[in-house]
Amino acid sequence: MTAAVAASGLAVAYGGGRPALERVEFELAAGSSLCVLGPNGGGKTTLFRALTGELAPLRGTVSVAGGRPAYLAQTERTRLDFPVSALDVALMGSLANGRWWLPARRSDRATARAALDRVGLADRAGDRFGELSGGQRQRVLLARAIVQDARVLLLDEPLAGVDPASAERIERLFGELRDEGRALLVSTHDVDSARAFDRVLCVNHDQIAFGAPADVLSREVLERTYGAEIVVLDEPGPDGTVRAVTVQHHHHDH
Amino acid sequence: MDPAALPAPTDLVELRFMRTALVELALLGVAGGLLGAWIVLRRLAFFAHATGTATFPGLVVADATGFSATLAALAVALGYAGGVERAGRAGRDPGDVATALLLVVALAGGVVLASDVFESGAAVDRLLFGTALGLGAGDLWIAAGAAAAALAATLLLGRAWTAVGFDGAGGEALGVPVRTADRLLLGLVAVAAVAALPAVGALLVASLFVVPAATARLLTRSVGGLLAAAVAVAVVQGAAGLYVSLWLDAPPGPAVAVVGSLLYVAAALATAARATARPAPLEAA
Repeated sequence: MTAAVAASGLAVAYGGGRPALERVEFELAAGSSLCVLGPNGGGKTTLFRALTGELAPLRGTVSVAGGRPAYLAQTERTRLDFPVSALDVALMGSLANGRWWLPARRSDRATARAALDRVGLADRAGDRFGELSGGQRQRVLLARAIVQDARVLLLDEPLAGVDPASAERIERLFGELRDEGRALLVSTHDVDSARAFDRVLCVNHDQIAFGAPADVLSREVLERTYGAEIVVLDEPGPDGTVRAVTVQHHHHDH
Repeated sequence: MDPAALPAPTDLVELRFMRTALVELALLGVAGGLLGAWIVLRRLAFFAHATGTATFPGLVVADATGFSATLAALAVALGYAGGVERAGRAGRDPGDVATALLLVVALAGGVVLASDVFESGAAVDRLLFGTALGLGAGDLWIAAGAAAAALAATLLLGRAWTAVGFDGAGGEALGVPVRTADRLLLGLVAVAAVAALPAVGALLVASLFVVPAATARLLTRSVGGLLAAAVAVAVVQGAAGLYVSLWLDAPPGPAVAVVGSLLYVAAALATAARATARPAPLEAA
């Protein structure tokens, strides 16, 4: 098994300050998915910034196989007033070929159209990105990652504020992308959804736990991860792991 | 001149000084329209305005000492742009307050220098509001250089500026050289603002670099459309402003600014009327 993403003894800080995240140690194989759980400000986005290379490790190492990972911000953090269509956004993925100063080629356009078709938005190619629903926007960003042909995808709360029908479609796409051998790292607040992933990583400044969902999703780990922000339900889930809900507001964390 | 008597539109090309002003404003229209589109998209309007105003004390000193006004303004504008870029890189947005403070210091400092140190007198008006009717070949060449640079940068950097402006973190993850692209944009705005000083002065730079693109932004739905429309609006406002200046014997810089503002108001009213007539569709799931 070759690791698509690996972190070892990783500590990351902003501008020389105290580490926002430390003692991170995990490996993720190609063709598998990782759910990153943690409270607001717990270090989920910091981990992604270290994986994109935007933040250099203070200590330890990170490695990402197969070139640049794609980063999908929460769609509310993109500029929804920008005059770009769904096709324009998908086409941005072709900038990753390294020739960003050249105009898009005909073949790039064809690739972008095919990617939009794949996420079920071929008929919305000309629509303004900001006028699409939250779930459609997330699918357009997935199309951009498909055009980029990223082997590793980092998704920041992709299902926040997405309606259930769109969420189901997006989760199906996650499965397809994983089956193609891509590695997916998804941060979320939804403890219940973590069960569907191959691995779960819990962070709260420190790494709290990493492993298969059945091993990680225990009352003790969740309480250490979320502190007072979590309510663990008494009734266990279908696979014997605990069920829990987080009580917090959705706002951007570090 | 009798304000009621309309001059012939052909005067704009037949009178030599008008023709020069028209060419200058058309060239600045290309630079201002193209860069203005990026300024408006990247929310740099206040920066563009501040860059122009920041040059004022430098212009006063240059004017009084016989030093090259272009070089003095360029030094101040690039210095200011560099400061903004550095602050942004360190994660410290210079912020509206710092920009407002700079505007006050530049204007007040320039006026004190002009009235008490150099006794510049009537030159102050020219430095603040420009004099499109007294331009020389050198001014035209500088404006042509600004137009060519804006066009080349838009062709080469347009895709990168769009990707980064739309989604900074996502753009960086695509491998776009975000810092270089941002530096080039701020630097180009500073250089182009200096090129516009002879025509519209330190205070009205925004009339070429913000107003036409803001008008075009209301009327277009794509980046390409915005770029084309911003250039068209800038050129039209330049020609119409010169005509008004000839008709009312008004200074051309302020006349261009007033015409540009009226075009913006007209576009805003038309957009609002259209939105009222056709309610927005319900958001799709």
